Amino acid sequence: MALLELDGLTRRFGGIVAVDEVTMRVAAGEVRAVIGPNGAGKSTLFNLITGVTKPTSGTVRFDDHALTGLSAYSVCQRGVSRTFQITALFPEMTARENVRLSAQARHARRWQPWGGGAVFADAETRADAALERLGLTQVAHRPAGLLSHGDQRLLEVAMALSQQPRLLLLDEPTQGLSVEETEQAVDTLSTLLADGAMTVLLVEHDMEVVFRLAHMITVLHRGSVIADGTPEEVRSSEDVQRAYLGGLA
Amino acid sequence: MTAIKRNSLILLAVCVLALAPTGLPPYAMTLLTEALILGLFAMSLDLMVGYTRLLSFGHAAAYGLGAYAAGNLLLHTSIPLVFAVLLAALFSGIVAIGIAWVCTLASGVSFSMLTLAFAQLLYAVAFKWTAATGASDGLAGIPRSAGPFGITVFAGRAGFYYLVLACLVAAFIFCRSLVQSPFGAVLRGIRENEAKTLSLGYNTRRYKIAVVAVSFMLGGLAGALYAPFAGFTNTELLFWLFSGQVLIMVIVGGAGTLIGPIIGAAFFMLVSNLLSSWTDSWALFFGAIFILFVLFAPQGIWGLATRWRSLSSTG
Amino acid sequence: MDFLGFLVTQCLNALSQAALLFFLGVGLTLIFGIMRIVNFAHGAFFMLGAYVGYSAVHLTGSFWASLIAAPLLVGGFGAAFELGILRQLYRRDHSAFLMVTFGLTLIMGEAIRLLWGVAALEVPAPKILSGIVFILDEPFPIYRLFLIGAGIVVAIAIWQFLERTRLGLLIRATSQNAEMVHALGTDVRLVRSAVFGIGCGLAGIGGVFAAPLVTASLGMAPNAVIDTFVIVIIGGMGSFAGSLIGALLVAFVQVFGTYYFPNLALALMYLLMLTVLVIRPGGLLGKEA
Repeated sequence: MALLELDGLTRRFGGIVAVDEVTMRVAAGEVRAVIGPNGAGKSTLFNLITGVTKPTSGTVRFDDHALTGLSAYSVCQRGVSRTFQITALFPEMTARENVRLSAQARHARRWQPWGGGAVFADAETRADAALERLGLTQVAHRPAGLLSHGDQRLLEVAMALSQQPRLLLLDEPTQGLSVEETEQAVDTLSTLLADGAMTVLLVEHDMEVVFRLAHMITVLHRGSVIADGTPEEVRSSEDVQRAYLGGLA
Repeated sequence: MTAIKRNSLILLAVCVLALAPTGLPPYAMTLLTEALILGLFAMSLDLMVGYTRLLSFGHAAAYGLGAYAAGNLLLHTSIPLVFAVLLAALFSGIVAIGIAWVCTLASGVSFSMLTLAFAQLLYAVAFKWTAATGASDGLAGIPRSAGPFGITVFAGRAGFYYLVLACLVAAFIFCRSLVQSPFGAVLRGIRENEAKTLSLGYNTRRYKIAVVAVSFMLGGLAGALYAPFAGFTNTELLFWLFSGQVLIMVIVGGAGTLIGPIIGAAFFMLVSNLLSSWTDSWALFFGAIFILFVLFAPQGIWGLATRWRSLSSTG
Repeated sequence: MDFLGFLVTQCLNALSQAALLFFLGVGLTLIFGIMRIVNFAHGAFFMLGAYVGYSAVHLTGSFWASLIAAPLLVGGFGAAFELGILRQLYRRDHSAFLMVTFGLTLIMGEAIRLLWGVAALEVPAPKILSGIVFILDEPFPIYRLFLIGAGIVVAIAIWQFLERTRLGLLIRATSQNAEMVHALGTDVRLVRSAVFGIGCGLAGIGGVFAAPLVTASLGMAPNAVIDTFVIVIIGGMGSFAGSLIGALLVAFVQVFGTYYFPNLALALMYLLMLTVLVIRPGGLLGKEA
């Protein structure tokens, strides 16, 4: 049984079908890339999985529990963390405070309205560990809004990581990064994912990143799945080549 | 400004305030007491506006609920003053849960307009519900009931002043503890990016309802203190202009600092007293001051003061 | 009293009320459509229109003159305020606009009190419009019929203005894509000032029309703002047609609601606002071209 199961997942906006009968199985420990031309429905798919948008029809099952229809915060509490395509941070808090708040969300007493020494200490330990893994320890005390774009993208990943999710959704983590920054980010991510402990869904435009990190690829085109398999299978698929008008790199 | 410096300043201020009855004439004592009550009221709003970015145009509802509840308790029962005040504050907080539940169905501007609508609703109800509120006449002759154990110390000017001061200090300590707690950290997240906070797994609506309830409880405490202070209540306490005044106190004093709003209240009382000798168009001046601060000094008086101090200590 | 007659007159009542509300709502929605801000002072501009109308009538003896003078003066004041003050705030977040327009409400309320006093003012309707007609044996004020007519005329005028004139085109374009309009060489800031002025002017003219019915008074402002806000939430912020629908809905609820539940007028408005916000929590986002 797969960790994440999507069945006939569909989302309509008026006359437009953004996500069309998407069925997908992601096994535990797998890194699955979701690719496709612009407007293919990738971000909508993420929003459907994480509860930001409700599906018109179809289901999402995570670890054999229904995720469909749950609110965004409930989905997160079940062990699904994500980053966003457009960087979403707390700009006036330091990088460390950003990750701390994220880690705090996993604590049983996260709502405690007094004291908090134990809650904060625990969250800070996890935050420091996540910052370390993403190479952000140097900038931990800088306000998040003042970090470089590359560091901000990594900070979002650190936030998601600090929640020790069982399923991690990365929405275009290298978007807007320079060539060097992308190299660094991919190095960091590939070290992170090397032990196979985390299951990852990755939306990416940069094919080199995809081929370096992904075990499996799903290709979306106009909301539906047109190919699904290993990188080699997808690379040689004619459907995919046609959709991308000229083939993959 | 370091925490130690800030705490020392606060302690100093409390000591000075504690000594006030020994030196000040009765008229000044009355003004000071009212300023402290308004300071408590403004600080309660800061939890919503400054710490969670929940802009309320209807906070007078909290004050009015507390004042009318306390007024009724003191007039119609023999509950001692202190308990009546605390009960009235609790009442305001509990009613606020319902109000907040409704208002948090929306966010942003819609939230603000709902808070205004709610306060207007209470205002209209107060006019009609003669039994509970005395309609447009309000409640009068509110006593500072004795007890427990027959103590009447709060009936006197100094005694009541110390009660108000104690409430303000206790509320301040409570608020500070709240904003520095994990709950407070979540509020800050909501303030800076609610969508992100939600996606991190926090049920942000619940936190918002909770902070509104606490804010109303403390605002209600202020209103509940006002009723026996003035000896009367009336519908003016629920009027939208009053909601506006307290919002101005928060912003001009310095939102998100707890101290700032208290300073804002003092500033407001000072200026309106000075103004009243030659004009009663306070609304004009405060409207203008408000706009000027929003435009040029959004961090408020306390924000400016702390920044100046930290600049001057490094520069 | 026969039921049909009652129904028809109450409907006409509601339509005349809708006309007034429409003046308010269309102004606010135009402002929001272009500037993405909610003008908290909208009720104050409405009030100002009523008071300026009162003075104009007493100065010139002509109601018609005040119908022209009031919106020009009120709109001009609004545009000046936008130019001087609101312009500084576009880079800030929206709560700053709300607070500044709230401050403006205080200032305007007090200025009006200083200039015109506290007593509610009577503004008499012009002679030809006072008096009543009989509709299905029920008496009905001619002035209210006039209001319905005025509402229709103004609605058509605004619609044509938006569709046919250059400024109207600029306004519609700016509300969809301000950057593009700017790139094409128009000073978007001027469009914004013009829109704010027009929006306030519409509120002002609403005030003049309302004055003979309501008698200008200082309590108008906050309730007018709430009513207007409900209208644009129902219709969708930035939608001209929406403000028409919203005005009709709110007017009917108010008129029939007040008749059957006289004590609950304000509560009804509040309930309506709640219902709409629950059904359309994205009320602020609903925007049609």
